Amino acid sequence: MTTNRKQEWILAAFIAMEVVLFSFTGRNFFSVTNFFECIRLAVEIGLLALALTPVIVTGGIDLSVGSMMGLCAVVFGVLWSDAHFSIVLAIAIALLVSLIGGALNALLISRLNVSPLIVTLGTFSLFRGIAEGITGGARNYSGFPARFLYLGQGYLGGLVPAQTILLLLAIAGFYLLLERTVVGRGLYAIGHSAEGARYAAVPVASRLLLVYVLAGFAAGLAAIVYVAHLGQAKSDAGTGYELIAITAVVLGGTSIFGGSGTIVGTLMGLAAIVILQNGLRLSAWPTEVAGVATGSLLVLTIAIERWANREERHEAKLMVRWGLLATVAALALLAVFLLRIRRVGEVTTSAGKRVTVAVMPKAKGDPYFISCKVGAEEAANALNVDLIWDGPTGLDAAKQNELVQSWITRHVDAISVSVENAPGISTVLRQARAQGIKVVTWDADAEPDARDYFINQATAQSIGFALTDETARVLDGRGDFAIITGALSAANQNLWMGFTRQRVAEKYPGLKLVAVRPSDDDRDKAFAEAQTLMKVYPDVKLLVAISAPAVPGAGEAVRQSGRKDVHVIGLSLPNLCKPYVHGGEIEAVVLWNTKDLGYLAVAAPAALARGTLKAGATGFDAGRLGKVEIKGSDIILGAPVFFRKDNIDRFNF
Amino acid sequence: MKLKLEREWPALAALAVLYLFLAVAAPSFYHFENLRDLALANVSVLLVAAGMTLVIVIAQIDISVGSLFAVTSVAYGVLVKEGVPLLLAPFAAILIGALLGAINGGLISFVRAPSIVVTLATMIVWRESLRWSTGGAWVEDLPVNFQWFGLGQQMGQAVIVVLALILFALFWWASENLSAFRAIYATGSDSEAARLAGIPVRQVLFAVFVLMGALTGVAAVLNAVRFSDVPANSGMNLELKAIAAVVVGGTPITGGCGSLLGTFIGVLLLGSIGPALTFLGINPYWEKAIQGAIILATVFFEALRTHREKRLAIA
Repeated sequence: MTTNRKQEWILAAFIAMEVVLFSFTGRNFFSVTNFFECIRLAVEIGLLALALTPVIVTGGIDLSVGSMMGLCAVVFGVLWSDAHFSIVLAIAIALLVSLIGGALNALLISRLNVSPLIVTLGTFSLFRGIAEGITGGARNYSGFPARFLYLGQGYLGGLVPAQTILLLLAIAGFYLLLERTVVGRGLYAIGHSAEGARYAAVPVASRLLLVYVLAGFAAGLAAIVYVAHLGQAKSDAGTGYELIAITAVVLGGTSIFGGSGTIVGTLMGLAAIVILQNGLRLSAWPTEVAGVATGSLLVLTIAIERWANREERHEAKLMVRWGLLATVAALALLAVFLLRIRRVGEVTTSAGKRVTVAVMPKAKGDPYFISCKVGAEEAANALNVDLIWDGPTGLDAAKQNELVQSWITRHVDAISVSVENAPGISTVLRQARAQGIKVVTWDADAEPDARDYFINQATAQSIGFALTDETARVLDGRGDFAIITGALSAANQNLWMGFTRQRVAEKYPGLKLVAVRPSDDDRDKAFAEAQTLMKVYPDVKLLVAISAPAVPGAGEAVRQSGRKDVHVIGLSLPNLCKPYVHGGEIEAVVLWNTKDLGYLAVAAPAALARGTLKAGATGFDAGRLGKVEIKGSDIILGAPVFFRKDNIDRFNF
Repeated sequence: MKLKLEREWPALAALAVLYLFLAVAAPSFYHFENLRDLALANVSVLLVAAGMTLVIVIAQIDISVGSLFAVTSVAYGVLVKEGVPLLLAPFAAILIGALLGAINGGLISFVRAPSIVVTLATMIVWRESLRWSTGGAWVEDLPVNFQWFGLGQQMGQAVIVVLALILFALFWWASENLSAFRAIYATGSDSEAARLAGIPVRQVLFAVFVLMGALTGVAAVLNAVRFSDVPANSGMNLELKAIAAVVVGGTPITGGCGSLLGTFIGVLLLGSIGPALTFLGINPYWEKAIQGAIILATVFFEALRTHREKRLAIA
């Protein structure tokens, strides 16, 4: 077990370094409130990581915990929202489902001796698939009562996040189980050698049963906290969490081959990851660094540990070296602490002319938002604004929440958000406003009282209707069409499709929507789906693609099929679609000027922060865009533009 | 070569059921265009799964292939855009894939770090680095002869499918007949025994990961040329698709055995489900659940089989 110790020292040194570094670079990083914010961030992943520790100690793995969160969240949402069960009963049944799911893994692994990797790879798809199936991917349950939301959003004594208790209980429970009971010792024995453990009278099958059921249960608990934290239950809850949790466990020194590992190690691994993410955000560094750093750290700790193991003789010397390193780090930490106390006065009085505006896209890598960013950067340069541009890499309501939280801690002057999920983010936006931060939403709105203004580029209704009208125009009022959407659970797309269906029912009896297929915002998948759609529905003469990468994907599919009678319309960027618009495959692309939208997303919050734009205004001066009209609390960007053969070359974004 | 299909039969049976059902319920599934598009869509999974089979046979795992795929795709696009000749660029991209694979292989075989941890780390690092450096922007405005290697659509499609099939068949043949490949099976079955038998275990392990990287590079190139530009986020979940196909094809994750024939069946089965659902008019929302159920079902049958064998052995 000395190897673990060593890795724990490395990790301790790393955490200390993180803290020192971010204390200098991250605004308000070294503060009590941020400490508790970090804990709040750690709860869901922490529950999973704690439960995965005994699993990995037995030499197993569970990839299905993230998907299980999605399933439990959906079960909980359905029961409360549709079946009108009480909150407590809904929680109980959701947890029961998690136990059953855990038992399914457990039985296949322990009774049939199937490799855990394979079983949980299967249930990884199965659980998420059932969650998507139940909700049609689209349903998003929200509107939970405040008392339930307290579990994920409230503070005990005004400071400690409510879910901390759950985490502490889980820590205590798993610590006792793993390191203080006969059962726990048995798990280590199984990890060393299952056969050997069996001869030593350890009931291997029932022990394995226990750890996988517990893993399922922990995922169920994490799902409930997640729902309370975000105020929404959707099938995509916990996507990718299993990998972060496994990373935390392995980083904490638990051998992936089983037989060794501690709860303390896992907690340190967890802390290293959470502090890294939080610190990077408060330092306004790109979040991609977190991934790169975590991955490198993972390799580094293992490599050092392996390398140190080779030279058993030098072990004593090494221990001393690590001890020294840790001491140095601790001293540095102390120094920073003293320095910070001195500097508290300076930090609070930073209200110069230059303002800091934090702008969040829905997904950083999406071509649509990349083109918004161009406008945002232009505005930042022109209007003397410090721009922080950061967001989730994919659609992820939880990440949006965490980012806003860290911006509140950093105390930026204004926040500007393209909202993935309104009920999910509104609470935290209100919190920002309560602290005097100006809040603007753009692209997609939050709840009206959670922001000062909404930059309205086009309502969901006008988009849905515009697309349908264009469909009717291309098809001459009658015929079949099919939709290729983004991810099945994407909120915006589902809203647009709703309005499309409504418009068809009200105005175009001759139109028929025959199929909706997902593209997962992946060009290649959109391409394949479009190909299949054309074959299965030969009468479909129009494909409506409503995700930026899906439109060129569908266009390419039509081009390669050589069919001149099928056309594509959709929402995308002119640059991505130009070749196909000129080639005749894409009839029209609908969009607003994304550069201007990005520009406004910085200009409006900056004006609010400077006081040149106040509540109740009817217009404001937005730099390059001149005077921009305001209706109520909506800042109007202008109507959507149809890009066609004759005008598309005039736009470059 | 004897075809015993001991391990492959659950997947083969499932495939037969699916295809027979399609023949009755949706005969248009068998139109040439559909089969061609199906083949093209699964070329990259097939090649990556071929490499993954070897990785799993040697009792390791590689979950970084999706990220490797994205990096090599973008690298290939950038190389062509920068004017690297079309005859050279694919090999350069494959070399990059092999180098990235060598990093995995080096850490796994010489530093002796566990493969799941190493590839988990490189999976995150490569994906995030790519995001960081491209900012998500696609590689656009590629020369006209980028698509289909400049051979035109029909010729290009034929070249891609034939190349992939030849490569796969070559690997299949090699895995059954070449001693270098049998060393992979020996190492996966019992690495200590293999070492004592004179097999350079570490080098074999290293080579398998280099090969995995190179095959991912080939897959990335063959996939990229089907389009006129390269997105920055390709290959999402490719590792899961490849691993699932290998496992469904009957290769046990514990290593030591398994066949590329099984993997071929696995790729065909899992790759057909999505389009099949559309042809049958089934709601796409259940697609993931059905895939998970198929994986579990084949695993279940495999477990029953080994269970029965054990009992027979005891009796």
